Amino acid sequence: MKRTAINLLLIIVAFTIQNCVFPLIPFLSASPNLLLILTFSFGFMKGQRAGMFYGVLAGILLDLFYSGPFGFYTLFYVYVGYVNGICTKYYYEEYITLPLVLSVFNELAYNLYVYVFRFLIRGRLNVLYYLKELVIPETIFTVVTTLLIYRLLLYIGRWLTEFENRRDTTIV
Amino acid sequence: MESKHNRYILAGLTVVCIALIGITMVTDQWLEPLRTGVGYVLIPIQSGVNKVGVTIYEQLSDYGKLKGAVEENRRLQEEIDRLIEENNRLSSEQFELQRLRELYALDQQYMQYQKTAARVIANDSGDWFQVFRVNKGSADGIQVGNNVLAGGGLAGIVTDVGAHYATVRSIIDDSSRVSAMALQSGDTCMVGGDLTLYKEGRLSISDIKKDGDVKDGDRIVTSNISTTYLPGILIGYAADITVDSNQLTSSGYLVPVAEFNNLQEVLIITDLKEIQDPAGGEP
Repeated sequence: MKRTAINLLLIIVAFTIQNCVFPLIPFLSASPNLLLILTFSFGFMKGQRAGMFYGVLAGILLDLFYSGPFGFYTLFYVYVGYVNGICTKYYYEEYITLPLVLSVFNELAYNLYVYVFRFLIRGRLNVLYYLKELVIPETIFTVVTTLLIYRLLLYIGRWLTEFENRRDTTIV
Repeated sequence: MESKHNRYILAGLTVVCIALIGITMVTDQWLEPLRTGVGYVLIPIQSGVNKVGVTIYEQLSDYGKLKGAVEENRRLQEEIDRLIEENNRLSSEQFELQRLRELYALDQQYMQYQKTAARVIANDSGDWFQVFRVNKGSADGIQVGNNVLAGGGLAGIVTDVGAHYATVRSIIDDSSRVSAMALQSGDTCMVGGDLTLYKEGRLSISDIKKDGDVKDGDRIVTSNISTTYLPGILIGYAADITVDSNQLTSSGYLVPVAEFNNLQEVLIITDLKEIQDPAGGEP
């Protein structure tokens, strides 16, 4: 229960930072996709169902922000949670390589999704330009940020476990 | 067993999302209560974070600017002297204009719109779309389709509204299309955002008739025939106009007046264009 509340809070904070803080930083030519990082991390750490749950939340926030067809982002984020949830069997705490690889794939898939459904269908064919100017910088930023966020999530998880254990012992 | 359940949930969610996408492509009126409800929670957070961010950013940049300020001050003083002189000249011409206008019984059609100022509280951080959110909404009289100005020029259009926020799509967004005309010749054209031009700070102009008289540096304003944009709002200046390969139309670039890099305050025109054509060509 407490974990869910904290994760919810994290998603809202990530959304706010992504929309209100990053655009203010002038030298940041691209910015990491925090919601994507959180969604796939939850999927990877906690399994498919949790991944889908947080995917829905992150997607709805984004869908409410943009005024395109509602459900566009939700659909993608649900799949991010689900697919990354498959890898949960390889999850153990200190294993950072797989999350980084996943982060690259998720970021590429996200950009491909946006490109195909919002740009390609309007006949924008300049793939190389988009790849060079948008996709690659954003992917790099996201991967670097994944390193930090993933550690943060592990730390929070460990702290919560410790907290719960201590409470149990005092009751007993 | 667990994974089978998950697959059902995934399938269910997929169907719901696709259905929602389908429905909201036709109409998203019914979403407004939901958007407003979530807005009540999110907007105070966004405004607060934005305020803190802006304060810190301004303090940092103020310090940096101080160094350049002395030099700038001297330059501006010269500018003021020049402008005072120019102003004297212009105000005498203004009287003449006034007189002539009355003579022609032309009322000042432009720039008499009701406006309200709003603060930008959230931007899209990803690079794919140029949309932003402001802190005024339907409670302040803002409606979907209102035009948004910044820095003396057209900046965008309101695409959805909650009680205390509105989402604005900039004219530099890749999907933005504005029906426009050249102020001098009255030739109509289309001003479109283009992601590949956005980093150079340009928009594209297309569909100028070949014999149309649009030259580099011409003022481009919103046209009378636009369904969603009020007429006569300055968008920017034409540049590099060339004849297309089909020999029927010309196209080129537009340098916008509004500065999009660091939008903080915008003006929203609360008047709607009266002829709302539901089948209008531009969204």
